[in-house]
Amino acid sequence: MPDTDHPAVDSSNARSLAPVDPDSDEYLLVETGNSQSSKAFNRLFQRYSSKIYAMGMKLTRNEQLSKDLVQEAMLNVWRKARLYDLDRGTAQSWIFTIARNRCFDMLRKLKRQPNCVTADDIWPQDNGSESALLPEGALHGEQGSLVAEASIIASYCKQLPEPQQAVIEQVYILDRTHDEAAEILKIPLGTLKSRLRLGVAKLRQLIGIDL
Amino acid sequence: MNNDLDCHPATEMINKYVQGSLPTGWNVVLSAHLELCQKCRQEYGDLESAEVLSWSEGPVEEVANDFSDLVANIIQHPQQSAADIPLSQESSITEIHMLDHSFTLPRVLAKAANDGLEWKKLAGGINQAKVNIDTETQCEFIYMSPGSQTPMHRHQGNEITLVLDGSFSDSSGTYEAADFIIRNNNDEHQPVSEEGCLCFAVLDSPLTFTQGLARLFNPINRFKFRKTIARQS
Ligand SMILES: [Zn+2]
Repeated sequence: MPDTDHPAVDSSNARSLAPVDPDSDEYLLVETGNSQSSKAFNRLFQRYSSKIYAMGMKLTRNEQLSKDLVQEAMLNVWRKARLYDLDRGTAQSWIFTIARNRCFDMLRKLKRQPNCVTADDIWPQDNGSESALLPEGALHGEQGSLVAEASIIASYCKQLPEPQQAVIEQVYILDRTHDEAAEILKIPLGTLKSRLRLGVAKLRQLIGIDL
Repeated sequence: MNNDLDCHPATEMINKYVQGSLPTGWNVVLSAHLELCQKCRQEYGDLESAEVLSWSEGPVEEVANDFSDLVANIIQHPQQSAADIPLSQESSITEIHMLDHSFTLPRVLAKAANDGLEWKKLAGGINQAKVNIDTETQCEFIYMSPGSQTPMHRHQGNEITLVLDGSFSDSSGTYEAADFIIRNNNDEHQPVSEEGCLCFAVLDSPLTFTQGLARLFNPINRFKFRKTIARQS
């Protein structure tokens, strides 16, 4: 796992979180990041370049800009592949976000807009951890069959180490923002985020095994 | 939050935000509202999932370009690791201090205010600090001091106001933190604030005013207008 925040998840757990289908976009993306596989990246490129080009045409109506966007977005997919994990949602939505955000920044630069805010300031960053509570099955199209209710999650929560329970309770059950929760628990924001990530990874695993 | 009035962005607007097709100023005020409003955050999540799905299944454009060199070029670049990325990019300004109050800003507004705000006193206890975000909209923080009252005014184009702290009222009702209010040129209003109120407002750029009376305020048109009048008399 590229994320060093996951010391408590041993390798067998990590495997149960990894995508199984070797032809899925998620598997290819993880491969691209874990082993710098140019073969996996090539397949992703073939699958996504025309979709990204279509998005570019829709937003810019300009062929050259749309080609530039394909280059810019796929370069970002390559460079950031190691940062992707399933907690961040599907590979599709991860690549969509990259393409939309790069297109936005490209257009702002072209229109010589002031650079006080960028796409990454404008669209939520923590989407991944918010959608992370989706059960494993939902990632593979079995939508609706496994709905993780707050009460079910709460009961699984009790199996987590106390500090992780506390952050999950604050953020997912009491619906506090990360800042508020960090203040209430009197821990630094970074600590809160890494406990949250660990706790959520563990929860996903518990829910995935039991359901 | 105001429950009687609909103080949330319309679904259509959130959808354009998802797609990235709004002017930056509007994106910024939507992003700030989403941070304050769980209902709209949820709607955003649903709309984004739907958009991703239709994007990935939708019609693709044939690219009349040979990208084969591109892949070879891209994989020469180093990949980033988690250690290269700071956990969160904090802005140096996250709060605004007015009189004896301090207000915590949503993330995107903290970033927009990062270069410092220059407050200007306007009539009626209103303070305004403009933020230069794009050329298509005009963005500003507005602080209404306790007991302040803006003069009766009418808007040219659209204005979105997001209440960040405190409250204000006009003839339609009272607005509180997180309320997202849209006004257009049909609305005439005179907001008052008893307890004081911090808002972020986004207006269509004056450059986009092309209709009605606004034409008369354009110097060249005004000149032509005068000449027409002179010829008629
Ligand atoms: Zn809302």
